[in-house]
Amino acid sequence: MTEDRTSFDERLRAAQKRVAGKQATDQKPDAQDKSLLSLAARAGSEMLGGLVVGVLAGWGLDRWFHFRALFIVIFALLGGGAGILNVWRLMKSLERQE
Amino acid sequence: MAGGSSINVLEQFELHPVLGGLGEALSLSQAPIFMVVACVLVLAFLHFGMKPAAVVPGRLQAAAEICYEFIHNLAVDTIGPEGTAFFPFIFALFFFILAGNYLGLIPFSYTFTSHIAVTFALALMVFLIAIIVSLKVQGFKFFAHFMPAGAPVLLAPLLVPIEILSFLSRPVSLSIRLFANMVAGHVMFDIFASFVIMLAGLGFIGDVLAVGPLVINIALMGLELLVGALQAYVFAILTCIYLREAVSH
Amino acid sequence: MRNPVSLIRHSLVAGVSSLPLLMAAAPGAHAAGMPQLDFRNPLLTGQVIWGAGIFLFFYLALRSWALPKVDTVLASRSQRINGDLDQARAAKVDADNAVRELNETKKAAAAEAQAHLDAVLDEERKQTASRLAELGSKLEVEIASAEKAVAEERSRALESLKPIASDVTEALVQKLTGTKPDRVRIEAAVAKVAAEKSTISAIA
Repeated sequence: MTEDRTSFDERLRAAQKRVAGKQATDQKPDAQDKSLLSLAARAGSEMLGGLVVGVLAGWGLDRWFHFRALFIVIFALLGGGAGILNVWRLMKSLERQE
Repeated sequence: MAGGSSINVLEQFELHPVLGGLGEALSLSQAPIFMVVACVLVLAFLHFGMKPAAVVPGRLQAAAEICYEFIHNLAVDTIGPEGTAFFPFIFALFFFILAGNYLGLIPFSYTFTSHIAVTFALALMVFLIAIIVSLKVQGFKFFAHFMPAGAPVLLAPLLVPIEILSFLSRPVSLSIRLFANMVAGHVMFDIFASFVIMLAGLGFIGDVLAVGPLVINIALMGLELLVGALQAYVFAILTCIYLREAVSH
Repeated sequence: MRNPVSLIRHSLVAGVSSLPLLMAAAPGAHAAGMPQLDFRNPLLTGQVIWGAGIFLFFYLALRSWALPKVDTVLASRSQRINGDLDQARAAKVDADNAVRELNETKKAAAAEAQAHLDAVLDEERKQTASRLAELGSKLEVEIASAEKAVAEERSRALESLKPIASDVTEALVQKLTGTKPDRVRIEAAVAKVAAEKSTISAIA
């Protein structure tokens, strides 16, 4: 009889915990994104994104101000910097999660 | 890939007008058709899944509920309490991309997520929404993020443009990522499929050898199922992260 | 943090992320012939505009029609589960109370029975003790009377012994001395010895 009661207690508590815990499941962001290949793809796209934005901005400014290639050179460099910054931030955020 | 008769791996990404002259006039290609199909499939899945509205769910209902809870948890856990407001948006984004990726895996179909214009439009939408939310929540303090705290003022002319470019690069890298993944998968499919066709044309030995690329293609199908879900997830979670930054003061 | 695996991983990532630099150096070569980059095609821009409309419709349909359906089902289920759990908890509390009550009743009944038993036993013990005392006193009286009777019998026997002893003494003395002794002196001597004997036997 006591055994039955403790098992009932346990089951009731477990059921309550299950219901309560349903709302508080902890989903780690980027948890599935840690494989090397997808990480590399992500880092590459971050780098490329910075570059593309830099080149496009430079190209647009060159056309606007009628320069041949001044802004595109400057902004390609800045875009590369931005890309490196993106990758660095990505690595930092992953390291914090580990 | 030498002759015109051999399969061009990029042909599958070409857009063709549908519905004849009307389609041409409205710039209607197969891409919007597949978008409609994807949306209808998702809505039908939810509709028929939730039709029983049972307390103890059946298989389809359980699947629909899992999808709902997965995105809901993603939105609320990542963005915070404000995530419920963005939940339908995240849900729409995730399943639009997921359905698009998976529709493209059907042979002879079309993948609208393999177009940089589409993925960039999606990313730009996310980016603009994040900016609007940022400006609404943070006001002009939003622009303070472009000068890193504690950095020497002398470096500001260098750092501020880099920070701005880094911020602007978000939708670009987001769209490039999805686009590149989809294109790479489908190009690989086509290359191995063309191997199968070429080898099968060589007679008996070719038939035997064609099994190799065929097996690779089947394995690729499994990989692409994974990649399609993963890219949709990444797009959704990065959207959540951008929105979290936007709503946090 | 800086284990070899993560170091390798970092350097690999750094290497891969520098690939776009090479790609960006020759953008035309890579992009040639990609239908996705043919921005003069009206179908390409058309799909974006169509896509925007379709996505907006999809979003609105989800927000106002499909997702609330799921939400109501989930909410009603969680309500139901919580209600069931509350019921179970209430039932458990009731059951626990009943068990406690039962135990208390049982304990009280046991205590009462014990008290009753103690009282009965006590009564019994007292009765036994008084009966024993009565019996003892009766026995003592009987013993006393019996002793008295024995003592009387003894003294009577001793008394009856005296003339015999006197006669025997007289006959012995007459045989030894040849003269008839004084009867009074013999009786006195016998009485003296008998008194000594009786004290000895009394002591013994």
